[in-house]
Amino acid sequence: MRNPVYRFIFLMLLFSVSSPGYTQANIEIDTPAISSLRQSMQQRHSQLQPYYERGAVGLTRDGLVAMRDANALPLAARQPVNALIAAENQDRNALYREIARANSHPEWEADIRATFGQRWIDLARPGWWYQAANGSWVRK
Amino acid sequence: MIKLFVIILPALFIGTLSAYAGPLITLSADDVHSPFLNAKGVQVSVTGPQASLLEVRLDEVAIQGKVWRDLHFSCHKFQVANDWIRCEDGLLKLSRSAPLPVSFDFSSRNKTLDIKIKTASGGAAAGWRLSAQWGKPAWEAMLTITNGEAARIAEFLPEAEQNLLPVPAKGNMNGTIKLRGAAGGLAGIEAHLAVDGLAFSDASGLHAGENISVEVNAMARRDEDKQGNSWLWHVDVDWPSGEVFWQPVYFAAQGHRFSASGQLDENTIRLREGKLVLSNIGEVNLSGLIDRPGNTLRDFDLSADNLELSTLFSQVLKPFLVNTAIAELEAAGQAGLQWRYRDGAHEFLHVDLRNASVEDGHGRFAFRGVDASIPWQAPGNQGSVKPTKATIRIQSSQLGKIPIGQVDIPLEIDGSNLRIPRLTLPVLDGELTLKNFSASRQAQGWVWQFSGGLSPVSMQKLTEALGTQPMKGTLSGEIPRVSYNGATVVVDGALLFRIFDGTIELGNLKLLDPLGPAPSLLADLDMRNLDLNLLTGTFSFGNMQGRIDAAVHGLELFNWKPVKFDASLVSSPGSYPRRISQAAVQNISSLGGSGAAAAIQRSILGIFEQFGYSEIGWSCSLRSGICHMGGIESEPLPHGYLIVKGGGIPAITVIGYNREVDWWELVNRLQRITQVETKPVIQ
Repeated sequence: MRNPVYRFIFLMLLFSVSSPGYTQANIEIDTPAISSLRQSMQQRHSQLQPYYERGAVGLTRDGLVAMRDANALPLAARQPVNALIAAENQDRNALYREIARANSHPEWEADIRATFGQRWIDLARPGWWYQAANGSWVRK
Repeated sequence: MIKLFVIILPALFIGTLSAYAGPLITLSADDVHSPFLNAKGVQVSVTGPQASLLEVRLDEVAIQGKVWRDLHFSCHKFQVANDWIRCEDGLLKLSRSAPLPVSFDFSSRNKTLDIKIKTASGGAAAGWRLSAQWGKPAWEAMLTITNGEAARIAEFLPEAEQNLLPVPAKGNMNGTIKLRGAAGGLAGIEAHLAVDGLAFSDASGLHAGENISVEVNAMARRDEDKQGNSWLWHVDVDWPSGEVFWQPVYFAAQGHRFSASGQLDENTIRLREGKLVLSNIGEVNLSGLIDRPGNTLRDFDLSADNLELSTLFSQVLKPFLVNTAIAELEAAGQAGLQWRYRDGAHEFLHVDLRNASVEDGHGRFAFRGVDASIPWQAPGNQGSVKPTKATIRIQSSQLGKIPIGQVDIPLEIDGSNLRIPRLTLPVLDGELTLKNFSASRQAQGWVWQFSGGLSPVSMQKLTEALGTQPMKGTLSGEIPRVSYNGATVVVDGALLFRIFDGTIELGNLKLLDPLGPAPSLLADLDMRNLDLNLLTGTFSFGNMQGRIDAAVHGLELFNWKPVKFDASLVSSPGSYPRRISQAAVQNISSLGGSGAAAAIQRSILGIFEQFGYSEIGWSCSLRSGICHMGGIESEPLPHGYLIVKGGGIPAITVIGYNREVDWWELVNRLQRITQVETKPVIQ
């Protein structure tokens, strides 16, 4: 597989094969950094899930998550959810960087991010929100 | 509401003129200009039987730069007499608002104006009433608000403010605003307003409040001593209940209060004697100067003597530290703060800490009993810096599991450069000395460096503190240079451990992302002349006598677990007794798995307790979780590898056949062997 994008679509399929989000991972490039990031993202996923379902948090097209509609949350929850989003994005950015680095192709990071971004959206459950190519929010 | 009053008055004026001109009058003007008000697309008509129907339309009204569009006022019972004008059944409508029922009564003889606006809230008495009276030379007006709906008020805000501010959805307002003036214009305002159950939000929900009760008492009067349009003002705000989220800060009302006085003119807003009382945190005194019309902060002074650190951190600071290494802190104690800002730049910041403590939520560090006075001075105009000296005393701290005694830090602050000439940290029974510490803020974040040394720390105390296998010996070292470039800590030079009567040198130490979620460590370890008798005794391995050299090169730990290294273990050169016990032979054999023990002379093993050997050699290269093993390099075997080469009487030779073993399986086996006498194995 010469094209890095296709290579990572393949990896993504391995990475989160059986359910939306990132469970049951079986990735080939399994460096300690990647598995540590995956573990931390898996743990956080259960915390984020209700916010995806409520539409408070959505998936962006650049492979991150964002506060889509804070109005869907009680006031007191908005700051902790902000922190959760920031932590998730820190891990996601690190994951894309680390996969590129572990494959000795740091320049692939943008491709990996784009591939993951689309794949997260494909794997999102119905009712979750994601960002379309034009930047608008769409309910799946 | 003052603005609303002003809109109605010109409309009334135009209407009055046209009404006197004839029974059916229409008046149009494209533009009306005045120093106070500009209007575009003005249409006034008086029609109907006995000229009883008044209609006023304004495409755009601008008062003092604030714009309203599409204003429509109609009055179905419009009456004009010699000295009075009366309107009943009036309706006022702005572009986006629902119509408001309005009536007014104007008497030129009594010099009174009475305007009533009913808001359609369910309550019986809900509305606004403006009563004005004038004579020579003064006039007075009183606006009374009874159960005024905040949402309705928002509809009548100028357009720019509507887009800028979060829109109130709920809430009632009660109170009075009193205006007084003379021929020269407005001279004083006094307002007493109470808002109840206010809820507001912008479209994104990132600036929102709910169930807010606020009481505002404000007054302003024209400063007679000054030329021009200068005002003196005072405001008191009480916030007894409700909650606000203003990205990224969340605040629940707990009786916070604010009061301030000041001055206002065309060019500046001056704040004097500002006092913010944050319950559970403390009192903050404020003063400052804002330049208008750009609303930029020119000068500001903030001082607080006694702030509660725990709540200050959790409520105010923490939301700004999300994703930093110190986001999960627990703080306690008292803090004082003084901040001076002049001509748009920071000039001075002084932080005092009293009996403070700071603990990392992940248990990585803790500082307790901190008393500090930390002054910071901005560089002068020519870039000249006035260095300041901070005094910081920390009674006790903890780095990981290692306790550190009382420390006095003589910190020198030079703009954004920090320096500590010399610092001694008591670590267990030894001392860590830091020399020439310097830190500065660069584009990539904080960078720092120091040199130093560690005077001997007993390994017994260190292993106790770390909760690991007890060991004897000492740890010491000279550290030529430790530096941090914003991401990686690099230690030049080597740390020297003196344990097991030999030495361990830890060199090429690098720590990547030390405070991040997944720190990595790179290092080389070289051990010389370790006494096997002490070593095997410590780890209950089965007695061995002799000396070994060991090397662990290219060690990589990720999240404190080894992921890669090349380790080797060989007998040290020299002459010394070389004996190995039966138990040790069995343990070495079992480490390599079932295949390793194949070459042991089993028959002899049962007879003797001790054997002689001439050389020991073993290596392990860890890659991808697998340890690739080898034996004595100088003695290659066609199958397997030599671990123990026999020598003396009775001699024993141990050959390994398994060349690959799962690293964690190996660690488990080693733990089973070394812990068998001390505690049960729990798997």
